[in-house]
This record gives sequence, structure tokens and C-alpha cells, in this order.
Amino acid sequence: MGDYRGFWVFIEQLQGRVSDVGLELLGKARELADATNTYVGALLLGDFSKAKAKELISYGADKVYLFSHEKLATYHSLAYTKLVCQAVTQEKPEALFIGATPLGANLAPRVAAQLETGLSAHCVDLRLGEDGILEQIVPGFGGTMMAVIICPEKRPQMATVMPGVFPKPEPQDRQGEVISMAVEITEKDLVPRVVEFKAKEQKTVALDGASVVVCGGYGMGSKENWQLLEELARLLGGAVGATRPAVDEGWAPEEVMIGQSGKIVHPKLYIGAGVSGIMHHVVGVQDSEIIVVINKDPNAPFFQVCDFGVVGDATQVLPAFIGKLKERQKRACDFLSIETPQMNEGPYSPDSKGDSQ
Amino acid sequence: MPEAVVCVKPIPDPKHWDRLSLDPKTGVLRRGGIPTVINPLDKHALEIALQLKDNFGWEVTVVSMAPPETTQTLREALAMGADRAFLASDRLLGGADTLATAYTLAGLIKKKAPNFQMILCGNMSLDGSTSQVAPQIAHFLGVPHITHVSKIEAKDGITFKVTMDLKLAQLILEHQGPVVLAVTKEVNLPRLVNIMGILAAEKKPLEVLSAADLDLDLSKIGQNGSPTRVRNLFMPEIKRRREIIKGEPDEVAEELINRLHQVGML
Ligand SMILES: Cc1cc2nc3c(=O)[nH]c(=O)nc-3n(C[C@H](O)[C@H](O)[C@H](O)COP(=O)(O)OP(=O)(O)OC[C@H]3O[C@@H](n4cnc5c(N)ncnc54)[C@H](O)[C@@H]3O)c2cc1C
Repeated sequence: MGDYRGFWVFIEQLQGRVSDVGLELLGKARELADATNTYVGALLLGDFSKAKAKELISYGADKVYLFSHEKLATYHSLAYTKLVCQAVTQEKPEALFIGATPLGANLAPRVAAQLETGLSAHCVDLRLGEDGILEQIVPGFGGTMMAVIICPEKRPQMATVMPGVFPKPEPQDRQGEVISMAVEITEKDLVPRVVEFKAKEQKTVALDGASVVVCGGYGMGSKENWQLLEELARLLGGAVGATRPAVDEGWAPEEVMIGQSGKIVHPKLYIGAGVSGIMHHVVGVQDSEIIVVINKDPNAPFFQVCDFGVVGDATQVLPAFIGKLKERQKRACDFLSIETPQMNEGPYSPDSKGDSQ
Repeated sequence: MPEAVVCVKPIPDPKHWDRLSLDPKTGVLRRGGIPTVINPLDKHALEIALQLKDNFGWEVTVVSMAPPETTQTLREALAMGADRAFLASDRLLGGADTLATAYTLAGLIKKKAPNFQMILCGNMSLDGSTSQVAPQIAHFLGVPHITHVSKIEAKDGITFKVTMDLKLAQLILEHQGPVVLAVTKEVNLPRLVNIMGILAAEKKPLEVLSAADLDLDLSKIGQNGSPTRVRNLFMPEIKRRREIIKGEPDEVAEELINRLHQVGML
């Protein structure tokens, strides 16, 4: 559409810490901009120096619009909405991407409403249609479908995108400019008043970057059975994940929930036990190299999208699987004349088998 | 008395989601006679309002935009303790995306509860799950919004201390005056409906309004007022092996190890 040009990314930050999702989106915006010969814009609001803003250029931005003000270090929805809308109205980008995080989900709808444009939520992919219109891929309606959402007539085309769906680009030596934007905010833009910012203790979850993920679903049945997953994960040097119902049951902490509203994982091997395979969960694991499913219901939808599907009771198959893996491990160790690693001595990575040769 | 408005969305009962389908042309959801229930998170929003009623004497108004057959679902909100309900229902409102939905609900609130002190929503609906409507209602009404609300302290019933859960951090905010809050399930445990409530609900006002009743700009409602479109639907491409293994636990475990070994995984 006419004078709307450029792919923009809102760079989320919390108290000065830039979130990965903004950088991931810069990578995607770069790809889309290169395909259509336009530029990438990064919108950075916070208490930042120009030098800090410049770092975004190395992640793919051509222009960084910097709104720097001490009051912007903390998120205020009205102030942020006002400044983002101001920049968009002035510069007219064709698209604006925002992370589908709580902050992004708070900001994006209000920005879209003020700009009277469309917004799609929790996208898992973005691509350009043949007509140049941005296609926003959203997992569909609790089912096994994906919906392609477009915003044909209004600009910018806006989408919130799940963290982790696009890889974070490697920083490169690139040229670009930082544009300092005027910050005009009043007390009225700073309500509701923030009285405290409480950083939560950041647990690095073993799931991030794990090469093996063992995931349990509601079909695991109990906290006791859950131990089987922990044991298998230790044996394979992997991490344990969970579906929403399993988290709701209290078998696993919220941080390890995988899927549309949890984590997106990219392991080499994913094993799902007692998991039905509803799309909300599957979108979080579909980049796995190999998917193994253990489910007692031969009609479970997960069997349609797996590599190896075991029809059986997970509480019986897992102990057998674990037993046989241990046997193999022992044989390998006997053969190499090294001691069998003890289960409770922390993760044992099968990759290290060959080390002593 | 101050008034709390609770936005309630009747959704197709998740127990019957296998019966849902999509109109392949318009991409609009075909609900096909599935009974509706109140979106679970909206009950948490309603509970906040009911506590304001119990503790500070607030009035509680429920609003919704949905097909006319969902009035029974709104009765449940009245049975929980809300004072009155308004349902915007009109063919002209069909096919609305979040922007058109928020515009319509804001119009309904302006018409029927213009002196609201607080608007409460569930942080997302189970079926659409966009989390977009609450901030957009706030925009159309020109009041601030807070989403991902996991805790509300009412203090004196005038100043509210609200926790927004950002996952990696929490923002604690304080506010006086009209505001839109979107709550998560952590915020409270909604009360159950009892027989007295059900009997009382039958006598409470429940009004169904058309688009014309609400003085809405017709270019901003329904499908016409929705900037987004579903271009098409597709089944995600499956490039998986889909090899099914059956048998006794020991056999399948052995077989699985062999196949994983073959693909270089073990
Ligand atoms: C908006 C929205 C977002 C969501 N986001 C997520 C998300 O991010 N992540 C997520 O996981 N879910 C999410 N959900 C929930 C999702 O729709 C499914 O309900 C959930 O993924 C199902 O989890 P499950 O497979 O563990 O449970 P169920 O669907 O209950 O499946 C249990 C399975 O276990 C099998 N089973 C039972 N006993 C055994 C046994 N002994 N051995 C082997 N198999 C057995 C059953 O056959 C069944 O297939 C979301 C839902 C909504 C509406």
C-alpha cells in the first residue's frame, strides 16, 4: 500500500534488559525487508544511550528509533502506546511486530486500536503472500488447523509473535542510524502509577536449548508416575517438559510448560508420554528433529504428527524403555571398561560415550 | 453506588470442541448447536466484582456480545450474584474481530453503564485466546488498562493496588478512578452458583440490544469493521515418519530403541 514502507519491530525491555524476542523479530524483519527491498526499523523505548541503541543495528535494524527517558525504563501502557503510535503515524511502516509476551500483549492491542488497524495474536510464523501482503500464521481454534490472517486494507499490519519461534540472529558488522525521538509525556500518560517493580528470580530452565526433551501429559496419571520422566530425562541427558493439564495437576512447574502459551522447544529428540497432541501443545515441539509419542489411545491426534508412535500404557512402556536403555548403557560401559555412571550423579550425556576411546 | 462492569464471553463448551468447524469460505467459526458456557477466566473477573459488591456495596453489571441463544449463559452470571446483564446481539455484529468486538462492547458500556468505576475482563478467552479485547475496550472508553492481573487489593474501595504478572517480573500499580482490568486465574477462586442464586437470577433484568439500540457507527462493527481477515486455513504439512509400534511393553521398548538407533538418536 502506497507510502507505507518498512518492517518495524518493537524492542521489549524490562528495566534496561532487552528481551530476546525483539532480537528474534529483527532477524525475521530483516528477511522480509531484504525480500522486498525495504528497511528494518527498531523501536526502542527506555532509559538508553545512543550507544546501547546502536547494538540493535548489528541484529539487523537499519534505523533505530530511540525514545529515551528515565520514566520509560519502567513499562507504562499509556506512555508507550502514545509514543509508539506517534512514531508509526510519522514514519508509516507497513508492518509492526511485537513479542507475544505479557508486556507485548498489554501494549499491542491498544496501539492497534488507536491506529485503527488489525492485529493478530500469538503468531507462529510470518511470511509474504504473492500479493506482498503479510501472512500471519496463527494456530487455529483449538483444532489441528492453522489460520492465515491478513490485514488487507489497514496499515501497519500488526502481529504479536511467540518468543522462540524465530532464531535470534548473530550480531553482524552493519551500518545503520540511531534516530533520537522527542519524548513528550505528561503525568496523565504515567497512570496507573507504578509503585514497585519486582524482578522474579530468573530460573534458567533446563528446557532452553536441551537436545532431548521428555514431555509428560495428563495421561501420566500421577506425580509418582512423573518420576519416570525425570529418570528417563536424566538417562538421556535431557530435560523434562509438560503439557498444560500436567502443570495444572501440579506435577511440573509452570516454567516447563511447552506449547502456544508456554515454551517453544527445538530439541533433536522429543518424547511425549500421555500427551494427546492438541495443536496448542504441538506448535511448541514441531521443530524437533525426531518426535516420539507414547499413548495408549491409538487414535490420539499426536500419532498423526510423530516419527515413532508407541501404542501402549506409558506407565508400562517407560519402565521397560528405561530398563533397556540402562542395559545398553551398562553394556557400552562394560565394553569400554569404565564404571557405569550412577543415576543420581547428575545428567549423563550419551554424546560423551566415545570420549575415553 | 460505584458500578463494576464485567465483560463475559459465552464460549462453546470445550468438552464439545470436536464438533466445532470453520466455514471454509469466510473462516468464521460454526458453532453448530454446541452449548455455551461462560469463558472460565471471566468468572474470576466476575468474582472480583462480586467481592466489591459484598464488601463495599458496588453494583455489578454484566455485558456481552454474542448470539441471542446465549442469554441462558448470562443467567449463570446473574445467579452468581450480578445485578443485571446486557447482551448486544445482532446479525450485523457477526464476524467481528477483536477491534470491532471491543468497539461494540465499549458502545454498550457507554450506553448502559456510563458511570462505571471498573471494567473487568478475563485475560483471555479459551476459544479465541487473543487477549486483545480488554486493552481495546479501554482505548475506546479512554481509560487506562492493566492486563495479566494476578492480584487486586481493594484497600478502602477507592484506591486499588494491582499486580501485573509479566512472567519475568511483577509490576505493582496503584490506581484511583475508572480503569479496565484483565485478570488471570491466580487472582481468586470464583464462587459456585447455589439454588438461591438461581431463583434470584430469574427475576433480574437481562436486556438484549441490537446494533441500532447502541448508536454504533455501522462501519466499525461486525465483519465490515474488522481490519483482519482469515485468508485461508491449512493443515500443517507433515513430514514425519509416522511409524507406529505396537506390542508388549518389552517388545515396543526394544523396537523403539532400535529405530532411534537407526536414525542416529541413541
Ligand atoms: C488458548 C489455549 C492455549 C493453550 N496453550 C497450551 C500450551 O501452551 N501447552 C499445552 O500443553 N496446552 C495448552 N493448551 C491446552 C491444550 O488445548 C490441551 O488441552 C493440552 O495440550 C492437552 O494436554 P494433554 O495431552 O496432557 O492432556 P489430554 O488431552 O487430556 O491427553 C492425555 C492423553 O494421555 C493419554 N493417556 C492416558 N493415560 C495414558 C497412559 N497410561 N499411557 C499413555 N497414554 C495415556 C490419553 O489417551 C490422552 O491422549 C491450551 C489451550 C488453550 C485453549
